[in-house]
Amino acid sequence: MSRIRRVAVTSPQTRLAHARRRSRGRWRVPRLPPAETQRATALYRAQRRHGLPALVLMFALLLGLPGVFAVFPGLDSVRLLGIPVSWLMIAVLPYPSMALLARWQLRRAERLEDDQ
Amino acid sequence: MGVALAVAPVVLVTLLIGIRGVAAMRTTSDFLVASRRISPLVNSAAVSGEYLSAASFLGVAGLVVKDGIGALWYPVGFTAGYIAMLVLVAAPMRRSGALTVPDFAEARLNSPALRRLAAVVVLVIGTIYVVPQFRTAGLVLTAVGGTQYWVGVVLAGAAVSVTLALGGMRAATYVQAFQFVLKLLLFLIPAIWLVLQAGAVNRADALNPVEFTHFTRETSVKFEVDVTMVIREPTAVRRNTVAETLPPGEFTAHSQDVVVFGEGTAVPAVRGGAPLGGTDWRRPLLDLGDQGYPLLGTWSVLIATMLGTMGLPHVLMRFHTSPDGRAARRTAAITVALLGIFYLFPGVYGVLGRVLVPGLYLSGATDTVVVALPYQVDSGWAGGFFTALLTAGAFAAFLATSLGLLLVMSGALAHDLVPGGLRRLRFAVFGVAAVMVLLALRSAELDAGVLVTWGFTVAASTFCPLLVLGIWWPRLTAAGGIAGVLTGLVASSGSILFALAGPQLHGWVAILVQQPAPWSVPLAFGVMALVSLRGRPPLWATSAMLRLHLDEPRSARPRDRSSTVRRLARLLSR
Repeated sequence: MSRIRRVAVTSPQTRLAHARRRSRGRWRVPRLPPAETQRATALYRAQRRHGLPALVLMFALLLGLPGVFAVFPGLDSVRLLGIPVSWLMIAVLPYPSMALLARWQLRRAERLEDDQ
Repeated sequence: MGVALAVAPVVLVTLLIGIRGVAAMRTTSDFLVASRRISPLVNSAAVSGEYLSAASFLGVAGLVVKDGIGALWYPVGFTAGYIAMLVLVAAPMRRSGALTVPDFAEARLNSPALRRLAAVVVLVIGTIYVVPQFRTAGLVLTAVGGTQYWVGVVLAGAAVSVTLALGGMRAATYVQAFQFVLKLLLFLIPAIWLVLQAGAVNRADALNPVEFTHFTRETSVKFEVDVTMVIREPTAVRRNTVAETLPPGEFTAHSQDVVVFGEGTAVPAVRGGAPLGGTDWRRPLLDLGDQGYPLLGTWSVLIATMLGTMGLPHVLMRFHTSPDGRAARRTAAITVALLGIFYLFPGVYGVLGRVLVPGLYLSGATDTVVVALPYQVDSGWAGGFFTALLTAGAFAAFLATSLGLLLVMSGALAHDLVPGGLRRLRFAVFGVAAVMVLLALRSAELDAGVLVTWGFTVAASTFCPLLVLGIWWPRLTAAGGIAGVLTGLVASSGSILFALAGPQLHGWVAILVQQPAPWSVPLAFGVMALVSLRGRPPLWATSAMLRLHLDEPRSARPRDRSSTVRRLARLLSR
């Protein structure tokens, strides 16, 4: 037969609606072979260890920036290209920083899976 | 007329996708094999397309006019949610095979009770999230076309439910991805045009806000809802073409009133908003309700939006189009970047809106600032053209979001709570849409800021702890999950309802009641952990959790054999 497996790809929502009834009552006790358990445990621990710093960084950045604004109200009157620096720090700065943080964390998480 | 021209194509295309859905799926299934290998870039565009709702397209700019520059924290939180998703949820959730949180409850804890509870929470979050979408549709059509509020709401409800009932939302990932590009362009190009067209004086005014104390020109304000203002000095106005002088003190403008303030008259103060352009308005902090605790207000909003994103039912589902957990994680990471591009622009509309359409600040219809702007800059064809573009974008935004949410809600209703067939699902779609329209009709006067974060707060206090502990803590039990989700749901919703209906509160208490995330999220986590620790997890619990962290073997990934398909997929994902 054809070697191409046909997969109907609809919106996940629609697929969910159709699949719900079939999936009911089919729950089985999850089992992992020993080798996979070992690998999963190692990955779980490593990802947890590497995920925490990223989360801490994110919270520090986002909860810290309002703190900076509260402590240094002078930022509102300093201007860069005519725009108050504090406005730039809230409207522009967070986005590239978050994109970089996401990239950094993604690299680390993927490397863990490659190395294991 | 121009409005009809703008909205009609969006509604028509949505309808067409719904009607053509079945046929399109059958004839293109060869092509769709490639969809299994959807690249994370395309998929993250689809995630963003579904995520950017009316609140992002219109709401944030409106909040800037109303609450000040600090309102730009909302989009920061919306984006940061995907970092939390990337670290904590994306890959394990994809590997669990669960599409929604009710499914996840079944896969991880095997608890029908928790599944039903999760379905109820999906309904609650969906309601809170869809009602503002319909409300915005009503407000926008009122502002642009001068129709009554209910016309837009009913039109939106009808378009969404007919589409869903006819074909279900079969729009595949590419359609959602296209939606994102469309919304980005419809938002970005008018913004650039506005900045260029506004003129040097307006641009300088936008960057150097002065407190809005006197009208600089004759300003006509049309009120859609009752607004109570405080008049500071005797003010001569024309109310519904009758000239009168308002004495100092409270003055209530009723719905449908048109009040014209003459040039040089004093601007009345509005309850609940920061004085437009005042010192508080300029500060990049969110002093909710002027309670004097800007830092607390900002943090509450950030916590709710960051953690709530993880539990939004229509977004979680999008990750399932990724071929494996690794791709799901990449999708989350790229989404952070894509949303970042879009969210650079609401602030532009906000600061220009303060200068050009300050009347909205009085009428409370600040949500319409984005579509009201083009006519202030150019009253000719160009203004009409850009108004049409922005209206079309706004409709695309709320259609995409409400379509996804309505189907999730109907699914929760027709499959998790009252099991039934496909016919019942279609029936449920109409039922849910009707209820949403009725609720939206009553919510025109609700505070936009509360509406935007309410759904996020409930998601952050219920699904966020359930997912995080379910994925990272083997000792979580079904009883703990149920107790925590119930606590979070009651605490967050109860608190916000109390803020809306209860007595006036002041100080930090008022902020914590209005935006309860800083205490309701830890409370839900705590209850979930405590109840779990008192019980005993089943023997398979550790395997059930570890399974979520096991990466897929690389060789087992589906491969396309047909070179045509491969080339097409590569072309599209480029």
